[in-house]
Amino acid sequence: MRVFWILFSYEWRHFRAAKGLVLLCGLLLATGLYGIYYGTTEIERQRQQLATLPELTHRNVEELKVKFPGPTDAGDIGYYHSTFAVHHPDPWAALSLGLRDVNPTYVKLRLLGLHNQLYASDNTNPMKTLTGNFDLAFVLVYLLPLLIIALCFNLLSAEREEGILTLLLAQPVRPATVLGAKLAFRAGIVMALAWLLSGVGMAWAGVPLDIRVPSWLAMSTLYCLFWFGVALVVTAWQRASAVNAVALLGVWLVLVVLVPSLLSLGVAAARPVPQGIELTIRQREEIHAGWDKPKTQTMNRFFGLYPQWRDTTIIRERFAWRWYYAFQHLGDQAVASQARAYAQGLQQRYDLVETLNLFSPAIIAQTSFNALGGSDLPAHLAFQRSAARYHDSLRAFYYPLLFRKVDFTHADYAREPQHTFTSQSEMPTVRRGLSKLLLSVTAVLALGFVLVRRRSILPH
Amino acid sequence: MSYLLEARELRKQYPGKLALRGLNLQIAPGEIFCLLGQNGAGKSTTINLFLGFVEPTSGAAFVNGLEVAKNVLEIKKHLAYIPENVMLYPHLTGLENLALFSSLAGFQYADQELLDYLTDAGLPPEAARRRVGTYSKGMRQKVGIAIAVAKHAQVLLLDEPTSGLDPKASNEFSELLRRLSGQGTAVLMATHDIFRAKEVGTRVGIMREGELVDVRPTATLNAQELEQLYLTYMN
Repeated sequence: MRVFWILFSYEWRHFRAAKGLVLLCGLLLATGLYGIYYGTTEIERQRQQLATLPELTHRNVEELKVKFPGPTDAGDIGYYHSTFAVHHPDPWAALSLGLRDVNPTYVKLRLLGLHNQLYASDNTNPMKTLTGNFDLAFVLVYLLPLLIIALCFNLLSAEREEGILTLLLAQPVRPATVLGAKLAFRAGIVMALAWLLSGVGMAWAGVPLDIRVPSWLAMSTLYCLFWFGVALVVTAWQRASAVNAVALLGVWLVLVVLVPSLLSLGVAAARPVPQGIELTIRQREEIHAGWDKPKTQTMNRFFGLYPQWRDTTIIRERFAWRWYYAFQHLGDQAVASQARAYAQGLQQRYDLVETLNLFSPAIIAQTSFNALGGSDLPAHLAFQRSAARYHDSLRAFYYPLLFRKVDFTHADYAREPQHTFTSQSEMPTVRRGLSKLLLSVTAVLALGFVLVRRRSILPH
Repeated sequence: MSYLLEARELRKQYPGKLALRGLNLQIAPGEIFCLLGQNGAGKSTTINLFLGFVEPTSGAAFVNGLEVAKNVLEIKKHLAYIPENVMLYPHLTGLENLALFSSLAGFQYADQELLDYLTDAGLPPEAARRRVGTYSKGMRQKVGIAIAVAKHAQVLLLDEPTSGLDPKASNEFSELLRRLSGQGTAVLMATHDIFRAKEVGTRVGIMREGELVDVRPTATLNAQELEQLYLTYMN
């Protein structure tokens, strides 16, 4: 251990002298801080946007009070009154934005058909998708391995190429100890950076101090260790620095870029999911057809779902709100199975990616960070389910007024259901991610140790 | 008699080349054995085998009675090595390099002691505190000598150690070798410098194509006779 610590302490002097590496570490630190700033700013922007929604609802109510000064048909209010289903971010989402920038964070709802409102903003800005998020998770998953590569591509080869290794290994020093001290020093630097950035990010985002703090740190640590394991394997082959650099960058390209892209393509092909817009169009067609169908037919179908309103008066007028909302409701019913299939399809895609992500620690880490931030697909689907339940509660509030022909008064605005939803961390996904990363780290480090033992490290 | 360095039927086969053909060699304490031979004769392979940098195909090398292949780490406590081209950490000063290599060998010296070792090896005191990156080859060679001396090893392995040294420094190095030899250090020096071998060596061995073809005490030959003998074998 004495020799290890001597070498370790001298690594600090070597590191200080390598101005390029110091600069690179500084650059990563600055990039990480920008990532934290980007993430927290984006979440703050979303929070501020969500905070304006109650005011919009309030203004809408005030306008309706002017428009309908006295008791009025609940159908009028259901049509003109809009409210919001709101997806509040968890503080952790600031560190891993996941899908929060492409999926809607709120849905404007009226008493009309649900699905065309739920998927109205399903289309995302492709430019936004293209650029992605520059949050802390991005820095840790995509950029940190590049720093590890820059620090480790010439782990022993630099000394070999400069001829220093000859004199070094002529001392009573095990080559594995030299390698271990170098790796440990670099791992210390990278871990310190990752932990520092994580700590700053957590403080900045104001995350609660719970099990997710050690989970995030463990995830970052294991992910770094995986890349150090890769560096160990490449170093054990004892090739020139240039060859090592190309090999390490090749591994980065495969694991961080190629495998995720291929996996995305493969999963999309294996689990085709119709676009939300198709569902909306189908529902809209169904609703529009409702205008031309006999009212009795529409109402009988509706009463099949709500037998408690069957005894309400027969509609003889040319237009009645309860008939209008009935065919809106039936429009939702017509695409109910399609909507379920859509959500299930998305979930299945996600599950398949989570099963196959063992091939890329980058995906494991990204998936886990998103799960921790409650910014992944399951969180969005949970929000959509919550919004659908809220819409059900709006119907449950308005339908008795509509079908019992009870007028809507100004006091009813306050009794209208409200919605709130805050995404939760998907801890089972995080635990699975940690297990998989631990497995990857164990495998790659074991391979590295075996190679170091089998291929004796030579000075030239 | 106990030898500090011993090779028994030492053989090294590289892919496509037999570098060493059953070398037998014994070097006693206080002896300076100079290995002469052309490039590729097997001098460096012999030194690398004693250092444990390469494993023998057959036979065995011993340092202070310990078989090198079985005690790679232990034997390095007993020997010091100066390569033909001493390479050091360029961003560290001469003092820092010496401190690093000495501490790896288990010696902790005060700054003044480190400076003494460097100046004894011929490095100007003001250079000792400069970064090695600014050193000439000869200056690096002197730091290499200081590293070897500061290790207080019983065995000194030298591969063209005076390469890059000016004549004055080479003479000082010869003096140093004689002093160490007087203290009981066994020296194995691979060199092309016949005159230096004659001047400092107690025995010379001539290697050709992996074989030690002749061994003579230097006292029995003058420099011209040694040169003639060498040329005879080389031709």
